[in-house]
Amino acid sequence: MQPVIEAAGLGISFRRNRGRRRRLRELSGSPPQTGRRKGEFWALRDVTFSVDPGEAVGLVGGNGQGKSTLLKLIAGVLLPDEGTMLVRGGVAPLIEVTGGFVGDLTARDNIALTAGVHGLSKRAIADRFDEIVEFAEVGDFLDTPFRHFSSGMKVRLGFSVITTLDEPIVLVDEVLAVGDRSFREKCYRRMEDLLSGGRTMFLVSHNVSDLRRFCTRGLYLKGGSLALDGTLEDALSRYGEDVARRRERRAARG
Amino acid sequence: MAVQLRPASRLATLWRQRRVLQLLVSRDLKVKYADSALGYLWSIVEPLLMAGIYWFVFTKLMTRSLGEDPYIVFLLCAMLPWQWANGVVRASMRALNKDSKLVRSTNLPREIWVLRAVLSRFADFALALPVLALFAALNGATPSWHVVFFPVAVLIQGVLLTGLGLILAPLAVLYGDVERLMRLLMRLLFFLSPVVYGVHDVQDRLGDGLSGLYVINPFAGLLDLYRTAFFAEEWAGWAPLGVSVGSAVVLLALGLVVFRRLEGPALKEI
Repeated sequence: MQPVIEAAGLGISFRRNRGRRRRLRELSGSPPQTGRRKGEFWALRDVTFSVDPGEAVGLVGGNGQGKSTLLKLIAGVLLPDEGTMLVRGGVAPLIEVTGGFVGDLTARDNIALTAGVHGLSKRAIADRFDEIVEFAEVGDFLDTPFRHFSSGMKVRLGFSVITTLDEPIVLVDEVLAVGDRSFREKCYRRMEDLLSGGRTMFLVSHNVSDLRRFCTRGLYLKGGSLALDGTLEDALSRYGEDVARRRERRAARG
Repeated sequence: MAVQLRPASRLATLWRQRRVLQLLVSRDLKVKYADSALGYLWSIVEPLLMAGIYWFVFTKLMTRSLGEDPYIVFLLCAMLPWQWANGVVRASMRALNKDSKLVRSTNLPREIWVLRAVLSRFADFALALPVLALFAALNGATPSWHVVFFPVAVLIQGVLLTGLGLILAPLAVLYGDVERLMRLLMRLLFFLSPVVYGVHDVQDRLGDGLSGLYVINPFAGLLDLYRTAFFAEEWAGWAPLGVSVGSAVVLLALGLVVFRRLEGPALKEI
């Protein structure tokens, strides 16, 4: 079976300072240098892995270790500076789920727009409209401008639209942290449905029970490189060891 | 879908996504007209005001020796396309920033954000054309047979502006100065383009050498072509038009390359 995601020698660097100045050299065709200029750091480097269809992968690691950056590279909304990222099939990104919505338009218009921008046909949108609205529990506010929505409603609508897409790969970045308990349960069920329907899933979460619930495989990112690629339990225990070791070191010092 | 795509296959992907483009453009129109009572008037107010001012200054305050009669029609013929160009330059520099969340959450071929700017502004241009027709009717100006070239002019300008937008969009994200610089340049270019005067006026006054230099500006031949729709005698020959067509094609090719090269760095900044 052909893998759906193949990352080979993946690397991306960012500038440390927020200055806007760039070198004109980047306009020329010279290949990116291996030694980076001062003031740049590699958010990810030498990351190589592949994912088969139907796998559920949990990304494990501390803050700022490259988890979200990796998701964005898979989603194709960031481009690697080194290596290649090959993704076969479309991606439904539950990253910034409310990003596609426009404050001035009504919920009805926004659903059509966002689903359309993500590639759903007009017919499909019409067919699934009721389902989207029902799942998001916004039936009474269809003609309300989106900016008047509460933050919970915004996220519910976003989650509902994105998970209705037909894309074979689903990326989930911490969205489960928001919403009340009953809605979270609904989200879990929706995600389980997606998985049993054969979708490939990438999940970023600091919540261990969320990760255990969905994922079998784990990638542990540490300092921008892939420290471990194995089962989720392996990744979690390695991460746990690292955290414990750091805590001991800090205790010894202090 | 591979993330790294050749220019040709990117164009193919863009074509497949034309429905999304249509959606974005109609959203722009919807948003523009959703909350404003004046709605349609806003898309014609600016070119009309500009044309009105020059018409007032040149025909009422000064004795006009430029252009043709009726001067207001002469002005509008070039003013409306100019407003389209100016609008695209401004909009494309904000194309990636304005809806950065949307750009960051969808894996569309990102050229689409520039095309959306070009087409949204074209919609404004098209919506303002009835005003030109109205003034022509009021002043008894009749279209010449050159009016058949109108769609050609639109096509040339569309290609030109797409190329320009593809270059400016990522540059404006990466370099803060680009926007201010372009605003200044566009103001200069307005007077260096045949809007308040015609290419013929330049040729009559400047002699062959300087007027040859003048038509290096791709807008010279382009605006001249628009103008022949009402003033066939304004046709300045093939050379200026050749420059316009040539630079449109070159700019588009250059734009596709520049955009592809700067897309990655620009995405990190938005």
